[in-house]
Amino acid sequence: MGTPELAASPLLGQPLVTDEDAVRSRDRARVHDARHHRRRWRLLWLLVGPGILAMLGENDGPSMIAYASDGAQYGLGFFVPFIPVLFAMSYVCQEMCMRIGAVTHRGYGELVLQRYGRAWGLFGAADLTLTNLVTLVAEFIAIRVGLAYFHLGPGVAVALGLALVLFTLSGGRYWRWERIVLGLALFNVLFVVAAVLVKPDAGALVSAFDFARFPSGSFNTLLLLLASTIGATVTPWMIFFQQSASADKGMTPADVAHGRYDTALGAVLAAACGIGALVAGAALLTHGGSGIQGFAGAGFPEALRRVAGGGAGAVFALGLIEAGAVAILTISASTAYAAGECVGVTHSFNSSPRDAAIFHAANVGVALLAGAVILIPGAPLLSIALNANVLATVLLPVSLLLMLMLANDKPLMGRWVNRRSTNIVGIAVVAFVAVCGAAYGIDSFLQTAHLIGS
Amino acid sequence: MSAVEQSDPRCPEEREEDDLVMNLERDQFVAETSKPVPRAELSAAVKTGLWALRVFVVVVGAMVIYTFVAGLH
Repeated sequence: MGTPELAASPLLGQPLVTDEDAVRSRDRARVHDARHHRRRWRLLWLLVGPGILAMLGENDGPSMIAYASDGAQYGLGFFVPFIPVLFAMSYVCQEMCMRIGAVTHRGYGELVLQRYGRAWGLFGAADLTLTNLVTLVAEFIAIRVGLAYFHLGPGVAVALGLALVLFTLSGGRYWRWERIVLGLALFNVLFVVAAVLVKPDAGALVSAFDFARFPSGSFNTLLLLLASTIGATVTPWMIFFQQSASADKGMTPADVAHGRYDTALGAVLAAACGIGALVAGAALLTHGGSGIQGFAGAGFPEALRRVAGGGAGAVFALGLIEAGAVAILTISASTAYAAGECVGVTHSFNSSPRDAAIFHAANVGVALLAGAVILIPGAPLLSIALNANVLATVLLPVSLLLMLMLANDKPLMGRWVNRRSTNIVGIAVVAFVAVCGAAYGIDSFLQTAHLIGS
Repeated sequence: MSAVEQSDPRCPEEREEDDLVMNLERDQFVAETSKPVPRAELSAAVKTGLWALRVFVVVVGAMVIYTFVAGLH
């Protein structure tokens, strides 16, 4: 690995210390200090980050539009309880990633590549890069939709996204990157504010916790709904991101309990904000919400303005800008981690651009490429955005299965291997995702090829 | 300068370096994480499962890409 040495330790037998080690060591010193002095809240503050970012990062532009679209088409029933169930599934997966990262201090990409061979490692990286690129395009579209409400064009959306990527990279330190993105991610609660502003019926909200109200529609429509909603909560980039970020943050097995708090807190916040978008969208149920083409113009924010007032429209538009911006930062980071890990070079926010050129170039490059797509006149943006989550869902079982194998790898994980109960839930999640993704992929293909009727 | 520092024969740079080393676990250093982990020994059943997964990915992935491309026209 091409990491520059800072100095060799004077003590015989101790490892060489690189610049990256030095930066990480300073962050760890604060964790040791908080733990030593039993400052619980400070310790929690220092150790939260990757879990919240993975969960709120997945509450991205397409996901929030998907939730609002579900609400506008089907109302609150079924989806209000379904969203928390999906985030509970997501918690099971993300907890494993965090644990593997904290125990092995290595990212998902490099472990798969080294433990299970180059074919799977490179497939995982290629799968991630493809789905990330498509998803990033959708994030820029979401920012564009939000900005359109304020009469700003796509050029501003691209400039804003790229400026944020460059700004967060500028400190040369994981801690700084994480705190800036965390600060931005908390504005995901704008969707809860939007839900309050549309003045939902509290009774309808409570009675929505009834799984019996399965949405009506064709088999393919239902599969698309399931596949895109699953794709809005569990994705390959989250797996790469949280494991690599946990390792980059310097987490150790002693931090696993706090990593679980971090992941659970992220899941609760993300579920609440997702339900917020659903409730806001449901305000359009009886106002032609099902016909909204969210990506064609101002879409949902403009429709909300007409139904619930300018405040609700503006808050929803700002929420879309935030959701897209945070996802651009986290998804670009996951691409950069995967690139560095699979090429076998330095991959850390704690390294300078000179020392980790591929990592930083991948981070900026993938955002730049996605931003360029939305500036192409006549590009099929709606189709790209709608298929982003579905494609991620279809390819997800591979990432989940390899993650389960890593979490059960005794020589690698030692006493931190999965418990039996975790495996039962994990296998059930993989099977559910695989069946939904495959069923949608096969059914859509058969319809497109005119082998069955719609 | 404290009494501890006066009695410490190391120069300040060496002391700082040692403090840095103490804050990280041994297997957390870049020098350690850059060493590859050995290849896993997989059972025949797992190898078969992984091959089935490859077929699943290629077939379903091709279907989704076909559907996406057809939808563009």
